[in-house]
Amino acid sequence: MDTISNMLYGFQVVLTFQNILFVFVGVLAGTLIGMLPGLGPISAIAIMIPLSYGMDPASALILMAGVYYGAVFGGSTSSILLNAPGISGTVATSFDGYPLAKQGHAGKALAIAAISSFAGGTVSVVALMLVAPVMASFAVSFGPTEYFALMLLGLTAIASLSEGSTVKALISATIGLMIATIGVDQQTGTQRFTFGNPNLLEGIDFLIIALGLFALAEVCSLILSRKSKMMDGNSNVGSLRITRKEAKEISGPIARHSVLGFILGVLPGAGATIASFMSYITEKKISKDPSSFGKGNIKGLAAPETSNNAATSGAFVPLLTLGIPGSGTTAVLLGALLVVGVQPGPLMLTDHPDVFWGVIASMYLGNIFLLVLNLPLIPFIARILYIPKALLISLVIIFCMIGVYGVSFSTFDLYLLLAFGVIGFIMRILNFPAAPLILAFILGGMMEQSFRQALTISNGSYATFFDSTVTVVLLIISLLSLTLPIIKGKLGKKAEEKEDEHLAS
Amino acid sequence: MLASVERKVAISLLLISILYLVLSFQIPPFPYSIVDADALPKGLGFILVVLSIFLFIQNPIEDRKKSDLKKEEVLMLLAVAGLIFIYILLFELLGFVVVTILFLLVTSRILGYTKWKTLIAVSVGFTLVLYFSFNYLLQIYLPQGILPF
Repeated sequence: MDTISNMLYGFQVVLTFQNILFVFVGVLAGTLIGMLPGLGPISAIAIMIPLSYGMDPASALILMAGVYYGAVFGGSTSSILLNAPGISGTVATSFDGYPLAKQGHAGKALAIAAISSFAGGTVSVVALMLVAPVMASFAVSFGPTEYFALMLLGLTAIASLSEGSTVKALISATIGLMIATIGVDQQTGTQRFTFGNPNLLEGIDFLIIALGLFALAEVCSLILSRKSKMMDGNSNVGSLRITRKEAKEISGPIARHSVLGFILGVLPGAGATIASFMSYITEKKISKDPSSFGKGNIKGLAAPETSNNAATSGAFVPLLTLGIPGSGTTAVLLGALLVVGVQPGPLMLTDHPDVFWGVIASMYLGNIFLLVLNLPLIPFIARILYIPKALLISLVIIFCMIGVYGVSFSTFDLYLLLAFGVIGFIMRILNFPAAPLILAFILGGMMEQSFRQALTISNGSYATFFDSTVTVVLLIISLLSLTLPIIKGKLGKKAEEKEDEHLAS
Repeated sequence: MLASVERKVAISLLLISILYLVLSFQIPPFPYSIVDADALPKGLGFILVVLSIFLFIQNPIEDRKKSDLKKEEVLMLLAVAGLIFIYILLFELLGFVVVTILFLLVTSRILGYTKWKTLIAVSVGFTLVLYFSFNYLLQIYLPQGILPF
């Protein structure tokens, strides 16, 4: 009953002309940016942040959340039409989506993707609504040691789940933490690593790092691929119709992967990419005809599409209730919230119920908008893929510049942005994942604060980290998440499974 | 070849961590705190030392990926980076509108966009829409520079 009245309150927040407009603008912008190969949800959110200055926090988060799940939705379009996933969360979509498009069923594939995404998104919003308050009330009792352990787990999980070398992911995370130490220390007022430069006193703004490491680095990749055409002349997507038999066939995967995707989204470090791959693999394993996967099986399309959208809503659980982002994208969302003056966490439910319930309610609306936008309008929206890359690249650069300048009005920050763009591109060439860096940077300040608070309370005794069961369990899981892949030499699936078991229990 | 690149990266990271450690040890102490401002930086410095040693000794073959950039592509990246640098340099001096229009024209042209009419229309239109929406709708004032409005 309580949940229902809270939801009604949430709808009250959303159903104003202004907020409906923001949901719409958010999902539309997200869809468009997500569709462009190369630009992912992190860049989409970061580019949109300047628009949120001066908005009230609920509207700002409603807009940003719309951009996030809109981008995941949009990414599937370019996966299906071009075999060029806009974002990594839709790579698995292209496995069966692109073959379907090549067989002349692009319209059907897009329709299935839209419906699966809608179902996955909606189911997981219901789950989010039910789970989040429980989690928040549990987390209210958390002290500094629990928080520290939880953030550490978030970091080690994303490092161990990153593609490629775990050592490289950990180096990224460590560098992120190091960058977070620049500026005036919040607890003692001591200057650290500022080199006497007044521009560095407040530290480096997260937007500079997000836009530099992601958007500008993506611009570099776009420059390298500028000669390849975005789309060949064929814009005929064919019929969008799905037969009754096909609808029945995809209902099973949709039901299964809404739940799986949501759970994976809640877990730290996982997110849309891992969720979509896991779903694809699971569906293939339980299929009676696994050989048809990868050749245009509609189940192989429905499964990852359901899952990546379900994971997106799932990722809001730790973000809103614990104030801890589980992925690079939610780290940028957290940064956006801090910009408008809201500190997410267990107290957000009581301090900012309008933001909390408003954003959840907005997701129902956003999913409906996405369905409407994507089904009848998809042939028109897909025209964005005709924008010549040469033009697109310079426009994206300008967006990044304004975004950063709008925060600080200082050209020093623009030079920093350029520097982080270069660093981001070098990291890409050398296969260092950037998500752990941004996550560590966002968590850095909070981690240090809880670490030092815990030690101050215990008068310097490290034993305090072993006093609470929750802390010990979290520390053990983070240790496991790190050591298992290293010992096994590869990113072992077993490590993931073990970790899932631990977290689920 | 790739292994040697990895090792160079590991050595550079080791140097960075040592520099960071040196700087951490210079952070002035604060007399009334149990855990001082230098605790975390020192810890992080040592962690990075250990990780760069790990990177140096690990077998790098597993993450092989296309990494050989062509010379002309590198030049193109450097050219764009240079244009961004000039853009920032002139940003407050000439103002957002003038610099942005010039940047869009020059950069798109260098990247191979050939339709002048469209290019001019997009550059001017995009810049003016951005400028007016930021300055008048969002109240975020972009530098006006040499322009009177």
